[in-house]
Amino acid sequence: MNLIAAAILAPLSMMVLILLLRRFPAVLALLGATVGMFASLYLLADAFNGQGNQLILPGLPDMPLRLISTPLTALLSTLVAVVSNLVLVYAVGYMKKDSEKVRFFATMLLFVSAMQTLVLAGDWILLLAAWELIGLSSYLLIGFWYRRPGVTSAATRAFLVTRSADLGLYIAVFILIASAGSSDIATTLNTGGNAAIAAGFFLLVAAMGKSAQTPLHDWLQRAMAGPTPVSALLHSATLVAAGAILLIRVAPMLPPEVLLVIGLVGGVTTVVAGLIALGERDLKRLTAASTSSQYGLMLVAVGAGVPLAALLHLIAHATIKSGLFLGAGIFQHSRNSTVLVNLQGAGRDRPRVFFGYALAALALAGIPPMSGYFSKEAIIAASLASPNALLLAPLALAGTLLTGAYMARALRILWHGDRKSHKIVGLYWMGAGLAGLVTLAVILGVTFPDIETLLNTRLPENTPTRFPPEIFGLGAAVGGLILGWFFTARRLLGPLLPWVQQGFTIAGGFDNLMVRPAFAIARSCERLERILYAGVFAVGRFGLDIGRAVRHNDEQGIDGLIFSLVRNTVELGSRARSLQSGLIHREMAITVVGTALILAALLLALLVY
Amino acid sequence: MTAQMFFIGFFGLAGVWFGIVVFRTFSMVRSALALLFSQTALGAMFLSMQAEFLGVLQIMMMATEMSIMAIFMVMFMMDPGGLGEMDMTHQKRLSLGAGIVSFMAAVAVAVFVDWGPLASVSPDAAQQTIDLGLELLGRSMLIFETAGITILTAMIAATAVAIQPVKRTREQ
Amino acid sequence: MSIELLLALITGAALFGVGIYGALSQTNLVMIMMGIELILAGAMVNLVAFWRYLHPDNPAGQMFVLIIMTVMAIEMAVGFGVAIARFRAKGSVEMEEAAELKG
Repeated sequence: MNLIAAAILAPLSMMVLILLLRRFPAVLALLGATVGMFASLYLLADAFNGQGNQLILPGLPDMPLRLISTPLTALLSTLVAVVSNLVLVYAVGYMKKDSEKVRFFATMLLFVSAMQTLVLAGDWILLLAAWELIGLSSYLLIGFWYRRPGVTSAATRAFLVTRSADLGLYIAVFILIASAGSSDIATTLNTGGNAAIAAGFFLLVAAMGKSAQTPLHDWLQRAMAGPTPVSALLHSATLVAAGAILLIRVAPMLPPEVLLVIGLVGGVTTVVAGLIALGERDLKRLTAASTSSQYGLMLVAVGAGVPLAALLHLIAHATIKSGLFLGAGIFQHSRNSTVLVNLQGAGRDRPRVFFGYALAALALAGIPPMSGYFSKEAIIAASLASPNALLLAPLALAGTLLTGAYMARALRILWHGDRKSHKIVGLYWMGAGLAGLVTLAVILGVTFPDIETLLNTRLPENTPTRFPPEIFGLGAAVGGLILGWFFTARRLLGPLLPWVQQGFTIAGGFDNLMVRPAFAIARSCERLERILYAGVFAVGRFGLDIGRAVRHNDEQGIDGLIFSLVRNTVELGSRARSLQSGLIHREMAITVVGTALILAALLLALLVY
Repeated sequence: MTAQMFFIGFFGLAGVWFGIVVFRTFSMVRSALALLFSQTALGAMFLSMQAEFLGVLQIMMMATEMSIMAIFMVMFMMDPGGLGEMDMTHQKRLSLGAGIVSFMAAVAVAVFVDWGPLASVSPDAAQQTIDLGLELLGRSMLIFETAGITILTAMIAATAVAIQPVKRTREQ
Repeated sequence: MSIELLLALITGAALFGVGIYGALSQTNLVMIMMGIELILAGAMVNLVAFWRYLHPDNPAGQMFVLIIMTVMAIEMAVGFGVAIARFRAKGSVEMEEAAELKG
C-alpha cells in the first residue's frame, strides 16, 4: 500500500473503527495518529533521499485525482502528523472527564485525515474537497460543546466566514483549470498573465478566510468556544494553516501585483491582530488573535517573495502555537476559566507548565536560539529585501514588536497573583503533549538549514541595509517583551484600548458592514417573496373560485335540474296517488274522461292530417 | 217511410225509454223490470232489422238474465221497493255531462260519416243461421271456443268468489 | 243516406249515453252493472245495424254480437259473484263505502 494513502487512511480508518466500536476512543485515536505519523515520516525520509511518491486515483474524465509527495508536501504532512499526534496525547488528558470522547476523537481524526489530504493533494479538485472537509470538521469541533450558550453561533460564524471566503478558491480553481486545461497543481502553476492575477486575488480571498486575515479575522477568536485541543490543532498546523499553505504552494505563480496585496494584507493583519491581542481580556482569545498576527507575518513573507520564510515560520509557529494552547488549556482546567483576571498567578501554581509556556512564548517572540527566532529573522530579512520594503518592513517589525509585547503581558499576568489553583485530572497526558511540542518549538530552528536543503532553495543572503537584519528583529522582539512585562495594556494602548477590545469595529464592525446589509437584502427578498407568494396564492384562489363556480353550477344547475325533475316526479306521483281513490265511480269517471280525451286526440289527428 | 223504418224507430225509442226509466225509479225491482223491457225492445228491434236469430236470442237471454238480476236486487237492497224514496245516486252532474257528451259524440259520428250505399236486402233467416253456424265452426271457431272457455272460467271464478269461505279450525 | 241506419245508430248512441250516466251515477253495484248492460246493448244495436245495412252477406257481424252477449253474461256472472262476496263481508253492496283499493 502506498504510504501517501497510509498517511490519510490510518486516521480515517481509526475514526470509522471508533464510531463502530464506540469504546477505547483515545487508544484508537492515538494508534491512528501514530501510524499516520510514521507514514508521513517515511515520506519525509524518502523526500530526503530524493524520492517522490505519487498516487493517481480515478477522478473526473482527463482530470485524475492525485496525491503527491514532494519535499514540500511531505514536510507539511509530517508537521501536521506530529503536531496532531502530540495534541491528541494532550487531549487524552484534557478530555478525561468529558462524556463524549467517542465523538470528539472521531471528529479529530476526521479533521487530521482531511488536513493530510489537503496537504498531500496534487490536484485542485482533491484540494477543494479536502478544503471543504476541514471546514466541516472544524465546524463540528468548534461546536463540540453545542449545549453551552454561544457555542453554536460561534461555530456557525466560523463556518460561514470561511465558507464564503471559500468561494474565492472555487473561482480561482475554475480560472486555473480553464486556463491551464488541467487540474494538476504543478501544471497550473505555469499560468501567467491576467488569469494568474485574477486567480491570485481569489486565492488570496480564500486564504484570508481560512487564515483569519483582516477583515475576516473575527471568527477565529470566537472559535475559542471549542475545546482547547481543538484550538491548538486548528490554529497551528491545520485549519488556519491551510490558507498560508495554499499561498505557499501557489507562490511561484503569483504575479508582483498580487504579491504586494498579499504582503499588505498580511502586514495590516499582523498589526491589527497584535493590537487586539494586546488588549484582550481572555487568554485563549489572546492566543487566537496572536495566531492571526503570526499568519499575517507569513503572508508578509509570501508577499515579499520568499515563501520559504513563510514555510519556516509556519512550521515554527505550528509547534509554538499548539504548545501555547496546550499550556493555556492546563491553566484553564486549573481555574475553570480562560479570562485573564481569573488566571492571575496560575503560572506560579504550576511552575513546570509555566516554564514550558514561557519557553513557547519566548520562541514566538523570537528570542534566540529558539525556532521562532530563525523564522522571524527570515521574514524580516525578506521584507527588508523585497522591492516594497518601505511598506512591508515597518509592518513586519511592528508585528514582531507587538508579538513580544502581548506574550510578555500574558506571562506577567500568569506569574503575578494569588495561588488558588485546584488539582486536575489527566495532567500527565497534557504535560506530555505540552513537553513534546515545546521541545520541538525550541529545537526546530536547528533543522531549518536541512529544510532549506530539502526544498533546494536558500533564504536570500544579501541585505540592502548597512546593519544585519538580525538587529532589527531582535531589537523589536526584546523591546516588545520589555514593554509587555513592565507596562499594562491600558498604558500601552491608551485611548485605543476600548476600540481594540471590541476587535477594531470599523464602522460598526462586521455586523454593520456585512450582517445588516445582508439582513436588509434578506428582508427585501422576503418582501419580494411575499409578493410572489401572494401572486401564487391569488392564482390558487382563482383556481379555487373557478372550481367553486363550477361546483355551484353543478349543484344549482345540473343537480338542481335533476333534483327538481325528481321532486316533480315525486309530486306528480303523490298527486296521481290522490287520484286513485279506490272508489269505483270516481275511477270509472276518470276512465270515461280519459277515454274521451284519447278519442278526441285521435279524432283531432284524423282531422288535421 | 217503410214499415221497417217505423218498427226500428219505435222499438229503439222504447228501448231507450225503458233504459232511462231504469235510473229514474227508486224501486230496484222496477229498475230490473225496466231493463228487461229495454233489452226485450232491443230484441224486437233486431227482429225488425231482419236478424231473426239474434233477436230471439236477445229476448230469451235477457229475460232470464234480468229475472235473475231482479232476484239479486231483492236479496241485496235495503229498500228494493223504493218506498223510502232514498236517493241512491252521486256525482250526478258529471254523470249527466258524460252521458250527454258521449251521446252527442256518437250521434255526431253517425251523422257526419258517409256510410255509403246501404244494402237493401239481406239473406233470409234460414240462410243467416246456416251462415252463422258455418262461421262459428269455421273461420271464427277459435274466437268462439275462446269465448266458451272464458264463460266457463268466469262461472267457476264467480262461484269461487261467492261461496262462503271455510274457516279452518286448528285441531289441538 | 238511409234513415234506418241512422235511427239504429242514434238509438245505440242514446243507449250508450244512458248507460254511461247510469254507470257513473249509481251507488249500488247492481245498478252500476245495469248501466254497463245498457252500454253493451248500445254497442250491440250498432253492430246489428252495421251488419244489416252495410255487410248483410258477412256473418262475422252476427258473430260479433254473440261475443258481446258472452261478455254481458260474463260480466253478470263475475259481478254477482263479487256482489255476493261483498255482501257477505260488509253486509252491503254500496260502492261509496268501498275504498279498500285506495292507493
